[in-house]
Amino acid sequence: MPIDRGTVQKIAALARLRVDPAEEERYVRELQAILTYVEQLQALDVSKIEPTSTVIAGAPPPLRPDEEQPSDVRDDVLAQAPDRDGDYFRVPRVV
Amino acid sequence: MSKASVQESAESLGRSVGAGERSAVDVARAFLAQASRTAPRLGTYLHLEPESIVAAATEIDARRKRGETLGALAGVPVAVKDNICVRGVPLTCGSRILERFRAPYDAHVIGRLRAAGALLYGKTNCDEFAMGSSTENSAYQPSRNPWDLARVPGGSSGGSAATVAAREAPLALGSDTGGSVRQPAAFCGVVGLKPTYGAVSRYGLVAFASSLDQIGPLATSARDAALLFNAISGPDERDMTSRPETRQVSMENLERGVRGLKIGIARELLGEGLDPEIHACFDSVSKWLVAEGGSVVDVKLPHARYAIATYYLIAPAEASSNLARYDGVRYGLRVPAGDLREMYEATRGRGFGREVKRRILLGTYALSAGYYDAYYLRAQKVRTLIRRDFEDASRETDALLMPVTPTPPFALGEKSEDPMAMYLNDIYSIPASLAGVPALSFPAGFTKGGLPIGLQLTGKPFDEETLLRIARAWESKSDAARRLPPIALEKAA
Repeated sequence: MPIDRGTVQKIAALARLRVDPAEEERYVRELQAILTYVEQLQALDVSKIEPTSTVIAGAPPPLRPDEEQPSDVRDDVLAQAPDRDGDYFRVPRVV
Repeated sequence: MSKASVQESAESLGRSVGAGERSAVDVARAFLAQASRTAPRLGTYLHLEPESIVAAATEIDARRKRGETLGALAGVPVAVKDNICVRGVPLTCGSRILERFRAPYDAHVIGRLRAAGALLYGKTNCDEFAMGSSTENSAYQPSRNPWDLARVPGGSSGGSAATVAAREAPLALGSDTGGSVRQPAAFCGVVGLKPTYGAVSRYGLVAFASSLDQIGPLATSARDAALLFNAISGPDERDMTSRPETRQVSMENLERGVRGLKIGIARELLGEGLDPEIHACFDSVSKWLVAEGGSVVDVKLPHARYAIATYYLIAPAEASSNLARYDGVRYGLRVPAGDLREMYEATRGRGFGREVKRRILLGTYALSAGYYDAYYLRAQKVRTLIRRDFEDASRETDALLMPVTPTPPFALGEKSEDPMAMYLNDIYSIPASLAGVPALSFPAGFTKGGLPIGLQLTGKPFDEETLLRIARAWESKSDAARRLPPIALEKAA
């Protein structure tokens, strides 16, 4: 699948990632090289193969009870907020 | 008891501190003195605070004096890759986006080490978010190979491998997604273990590609690697992929030699592109296995050649999802902007480096509507074929022997402008990651030019022991694991 600057702009927007226009050509080139390389997977017949999303075999682990537990990290977490209002994270107006 | 030496094994240091023959403070001071000489030139640490390390060592000595039983790693410094959380300590993942972040809690492995009386040491340099094979992608500094400062230490756990090789710390933790413990271990001449997927909890490890990530030990010997593995492994309810089948390594069994073991070799992996000196080293190890009473059988891994293509779809796809959390809202860098979307884009655009952006773009593309089936889903199916290759090969063998890297360590700057060339370097380490099996890189020899050569053993799930046992046997035949880089032997000025 050929990649162009429009593709890079589109996926950058999907990924909420600002890409410097001066770097777009470079990403076009690099992504194209990688996607050309991965084309080799098309040569395999995988029509009857199940996908692997995890290599964990056997029974899934039992879930722990969903119970409230005290947390001692609250203040340390809040202290790292780039912008806060009391116990809230503050962001630019959304609505 | 003699003064602590940085050339001593972690096993010996831990035993002597546990027995009260020497103090954790003495051990800490010996390694800190070494690090003060060499770490600035090697670029091994992003954060190393001697005063707080000595204070923590003092506390370990106090615990012992109170009669507390400490573990096998009592007072032993353990350096920690900077993508693993240590409460109250900076955590950057080698990224500007976490430049001022401090971990608010301990990773599971860190809690285990504290309980065992190990001494948490500095935070080691790494490729940004563990994406890279040279540690050149760190936003802060490159690390250098202790055997040749013009060369890379490998990556992404390059700081962890280099610091152990230079004896700035006897042990280090790394993380391995596609080879990030094993490849730097090979480049730096140390032992590096990627445990079975599920053997070590990733709670508190910053997520990169969650179906692949494992935390693993770096050490100067197989026995030391086993001690660190034993200290950090085992189930944890905070990581639902951690497994009760995980087995401790028996230190006695490591001494049993290779007699009776069946080692598989996939000859199709040894062709084009493999450095002749690594090939020769591989041949000498496989001859030795037979001479010592092991046997070598041919196996096939017919889909291993598709591993890089598979990996560079799956890992970026998972990364693009995992790294969505860096949005400037709750922690880390925020670039203020008029609206929320602009804030996300500006924050991520400035905070992430080029390799991370490239992988987010690639992963987003592979997961996007219209391409998901052709890329991500297809890669997951090929992953199944690669897993089956390993299952088939392990039915008739105890372990497989293969290279870790196609070449010895390369020069800084040599591959940094060509991502595909950098990715191809992972050809031998990625297959075991996709299969989820344990894999060990051990020092096997040296090139004529004096650069380390590592070889890799892969095994059956939860059988780390057999891999370490083979590497331990090789250590009694070869001095490759005992040789020290010249920088580690410099005398104090």
